[in-house]
Amino acid sequence: MKQITLRGSADLYLGLLLLLISGVVIWYISGLEIGTVRRMGSGFFPLALALILAGFGLILAIRGVLTRGIGAGPITIRPLLLILLSFVVFALLVDRIGLIFAIFAQISVAHFASDETKIYQSVIFGAVLAVLSAGVFVGLLNMPVELLP
Amino acid sequence: MMETFGLLAHGLSVVLTPENLLLCLLGAVFGTLIGVLPGLGPVATISLLMPITFSLDPTGAIIMLSGIYYGAQYGGSTTAILVNIPGESTSVVTAIDGYKMAQQGRAGDALAIAAIGSFIAGCFGTLIIAFAGPPLAQLAQQFTSPEYFSLMVFGLVAAVVLANGSLISALAMIFLGLLIGMIGMDVNTGAARMTFGMIELSDGVSFVAMALGLFGVAEVICNLEDSASRALNSSRIERIWPTRAVLKSARGAIFRGTLLGSLFGILPGGGATMASFSSYALEKRVAKDSSRFGNGAIEGVAGPESANNAAAQTSFIPLLTMGLPTSATMALMIGALTLHGIAPGPNVIMRQPDLFWGLIVSMFVGNVMLIIINLPMIGLWVRLLRIPYRLLFLFIIVISAIGVYSVNNSPFDIYLMIGFGLLGYLLRKFNAEPAPMLMGFVLGPMLEENFRRSMLTSRGDLMIFLERPISLGLLFISALLLLSIALPSIRAGREDVFQE
Repeated sequence: MKQITLRGSADLYLGLLLLLISGVVIWYISGLEIGTVRRMGSGFFPLALALILAGFGLILAIRGVLTRGIGAGPITIRPLLLILLSFVVFALLVDRIGLIFAIFAQISVAHFASDETKIYQSVIFGAVLAVLSAGVFVGLLNMPVELLP
Repeated sequence: MMETFGLLAHGLSVVLTPENLLLCLLGAVFGTLIGVLPGLGPVATISLLMPITFSLDPTGAIIMLSGIYYGAQYGGSTTAILVNIPGESTSVVTAIDGYKMAQQGRAGDALAIAAIGSFIAGCFGTLIIAFAGPPLAQLAQQFTSPEYFSLMVFGLVAAVVLANGSLISALAMIFLGLLIGMIGMDVNTGAARMTFGMIELSDGVSFVAMALGLFGVAEVICNLEDSASRALNSSRIERIWPTRAVLKSARGAIFRGTLLGSLFGILPGGGATMASFSSYALEKRVAKDSSRFGNGAIEGVAGPESANNAAAQTSFIPLLTMGLPTSATMALMIGALTLHGIAPGPNVIMRQPDLFWGLIVSMFVGNVMLIIINLPMIGLWVRLLRIPYRLLFLFIIVISAIGVYSVNNSPFDIYLMIGFGLLGYLLRKFNAEPAPMLMGFVLGPMLEENFRRSMLTSRGDLMIFLERPISLGLLFISALLLLSIALPSIRAGREDVFQE
């Protein structure tokens, strides 16, 4: 399967990811009350944590540029995208067309995430899974979800 | 002493109901199953089954979930010995000598010693919980918010040891977890924090969605990447009961592994994995002829397998007496207890005697079940190893989707899980382990709460943490621990343990 190899060290990418996350958080919580150490507002702890996290991100990013550490692992696009997409499909469909067809839809997407899957096996196994889940989750555990559209 | 036996008898009466016995058996079977199957760990499985336990009473739920954890220690050795793939991270070292033994036609010996060692260690670890739990809880009852804050700090620092990446990235993962733990309504002011306008987030991030995304979904994606065929050729097993000579040579290792594992389980950051690595290193050191190790030494199976099982039991001690999780799995147990409305801490033993003593006795019962499940029925599990991953991964993703959906009956949690799946995948690629993040997530709200309360009582004076002896001691140990990991010489030693 096709892979994307990221150049540079793993630390650099981890640092950038953490900087991105803490940046979004700091920007978003700027409206919360900070307060003082004695009377802490709701924003005190999150802001402190986000600032420390940003500090770690910065250290990691700098270390990643300066030293030649372990490289970032190669990213294989197909299983990543298709597995995540298969969950999106399930989430979108389960309330609309019922559990059984949502499972089939999820499996038909996930089937293509691997080179090793065989179409007849996936179909049979999907049917078994759909029936079993319907029996266990709805029949036995009374999960409030529609089985069919 | 006598009192403890009386309470154990009470625990027995709790366990000996058909429902709880069945749940204990289910936990043991599930645990063995996921232990045997590589690519499915206890963290993902426990978070998957957590929503299903909603309808159960808390005691039964915890009995089953903990059965999965220690059951996985049994099952993991089977795969390690027969096919040289550790079914669990705790069985990595078992594969070294266990697989060699299997190649030499001694698979039966290795499997039997692993199971017997696990059984002895499991029972011993459980006894320790029964006797050390109540006094520890009494001690913890004197804790007030400054002590709790320092205890949480200690637990978090120790969690760094869990990750075998770099110190900075492990610390960063803890802070990321703490930050995610802040999401939701602020208990003190009622202000919505970091909910990004999503009403579903006002109760905080769903624990199940986060754990399943980080460990379940991310792992499936990583496993699908290396399409190197997972052909599993297992060796034949001839007889399953070991000869007297084998038992004799394994006796010392089982004994040492049990003691070492019990100790490691209690220490935050120790856990079953570290216990098995350390036990292997110890056995190699005390052996007269260390060259046998790596060539099928029975001690190399007996020691680590006893150690990981003992640690799996005793790691419940800090959880049940102080509310302190020592590993990602124990963090999940906190989540499970909280979902059932039980606050883990020193009051569990007093207020929930059924749960505490029932759980302890269920561990004895579970260990007996496990040795039966794993020895005479070994053939069944070997056959399970032939399930190809191309079917297994479909099973995992469908069950994950339904499980996460069922917590709140809303697709929102599935989207959350997708997000955490992507995050977990990226973190793995960037050489950062997500386990400390889960610890931070669970401890975050408690850390904040106790810090704020301390600051209210001390009127904003940070010295309060240093003025109280227990709090000072905990902070001092944390600082020492952090220093010892940071110092390069000792760090090299830590990596040695992981490489051996």
